[in-house]
Amino acid sequence: MFGYIRLELLRTIRDGGYVIFGIASPVVMYLVLSNLALAPGDERSGSIVTMVSMAAYGALGCAFNNGSGIGEDRSAGWLRQLRLTPLGPVQVVAGKIVTGAVGVVPSIAAVLLTGVLVNHVELSPGQWLSIVGLLWAGTIPFALLGLGNGYALTGQTASMANIAAFLGLSIVGGLWVPTMGFPGWLRAIAEWTPSNSYATMSWHVAAGTAPGARAVAILCGWLAVFGLYALYAYRRAGRTA
Amino acid sequence: MENDAVSLTAVTKSFRAVRAVDGLTLAIPRGQTVALLGPNGAGKSTTIGMLLGLIPPDSGKAVLFGLDPGQAVRQGLAGAMPQEGGLIPRVTVGELLTFVAGTYRAPLPLGQVLALAQMTGLENRRVDKLSGGQAQRVRFAMALVGDPRLIVLDEPTAALDVEARREFWSGMRTLAGRGKTILFSTHYLDEADEQADRVVVIDRGRVVADGTSAEIKKIVALTTVSVTTSGEVSWLGDLPGVRRLEVRGDRVHLRSADPDATVMALARAGAVRDLEVTPADLEDAFVALTAKETV
Repeated sequence: MFGYIRLELLRTIRDGGYVIFGIASPVVMYLVLSNLALAPGDERSGSIVTMVSMAAYGALGCAFNNGSGIGEDRSAGWLRQLRLTPLGPVQVVAGKIVTGAVGVVPSIAAVLLTGVLVNHVELSPGQWLSIVGLLWAGTIPFALLGLGNGYALTGQTASMANIAAFLGLSIVGGLWVPTMGFPGWLRAIAEWTPSNSYATMSWHVAAGTAPGARAVAILCGWLAVFGLYALYAYRRAGRTA
Repeated sequence: MENDAVSLTAVTKSFRAVRAVDGLTLAIPRGQTVALLGPNGAGKSTTIGMLLGLIPPDSGKAVLFGLDPGQAVRQGLAGAMPQEGGLIPRVTVGELLTFVAGTYRAPLPLGQVLALAQMTGLENRRVDKLSGGQAQRVRFAMALVGDPRLIVLDEPTAALDVEARREFWSGMRTLAGRGKTILFSTHYLDEADEQADRVVVIDRGRVVADGTSAEIKKIVALTTVSVTTSGEVSWLGDLPGVRRLEVRGDRVHLRSADPDATVMALARAGAVRDLEVTPADLEDAFVALTAKETV
């Protein structure tokens, strides 16, 4: 399985979609947005909020991109080829999940490092650790949604669905523009999205409070939904492979 | 007793209303090179999918080396090249083969695999930048890199030109010489004739003939005896040995199981104008075998 993870990571870092959506675009958007000061509060706290938003945005990009990879692999007959090697199906799925989880790290790190180095964001070590941990673990529901799409749909369609889900959740969840500026009805929707709950946990930590029970509960709810979806899609794909 | 490499017992598989494989039974002893020959849609790929554990049969049983196919594959006993696909972008030939090799317990050294697949010097090339023939050779290399005892190839030469095909078979013969069991499907008759110890002809999901290519030719034994005639010809169909009669213009082609007797009878009847005798070839046998079923 180690060899499989190594191969998949090699493919990930050579993937333009990963570099653009997962790393370059969140870093660039962070630099632009933090200097426009769209976020509420003074410039310093605004910069922190935007940093968390963009790290979350990048992490989602990676998680969904990983799911699209499965769709591509299915279309290419790669999953069938893997079934013809001694590698077991559980190892393949586990390897893909590990690859996705590892792939998220550079994206989070790139935005947070830009925050420290360029915008001189200062947080306590405990806050940094919590934010990295929450942003990292919180991608699991999105990774599952992405994988579900990858298994349920074929190549091109899976990518499209994932990009749509990624951008839609990023925007509606208030990762690009804070939900304060949203009309009331949209803000009501935003507060139930997984992406908003995901970022809210880290926004709270950055502001010096606990992640918030409501956000954790909503995200866990979505985790269950997307987990079931991914399981269903995986089983269905297994029957037709 | 040593288990056969492959044993299919009355396997059946339908896709909706279409019965792709219909009660097919086939046993392949270790070390044999077998060609699965049949027209498109005969059920070759479905048969291969079932014996590799990719497709669960509706009924019947598939066994590899005495094990469930999935289990045999997990133990590295089989390597396979599906009809298409299996290549991923953004990796080099060397990276891909090293990965596949790493999943087996005792793989072949990379250099040896590259040589067998005629890919030496291409290991640093990106898989997505290869020509069709080169891609096909990488797929072949993936099937044999684990040094499995059974190698299964579904239409291995479909995308290759004549030269590449020749090179491919020379690599295959090296493997057969090492005692590997090889099963390949093809709709090229000459390949089955030249490369296999045994030819299994399948049509509409069933085995219609099974033997060496010489035996198969003999089963149907359709030597063609042609003469030029005029007038009534239907009596020619009743001559000794004649199985089928075809009239094209003023030429009559008699497909005969006993060409000597047919020619003697023609001579006695004084009907040997422009006599021509063409020996049976596998193509005729194949056409006869698969056409018979439609009647």
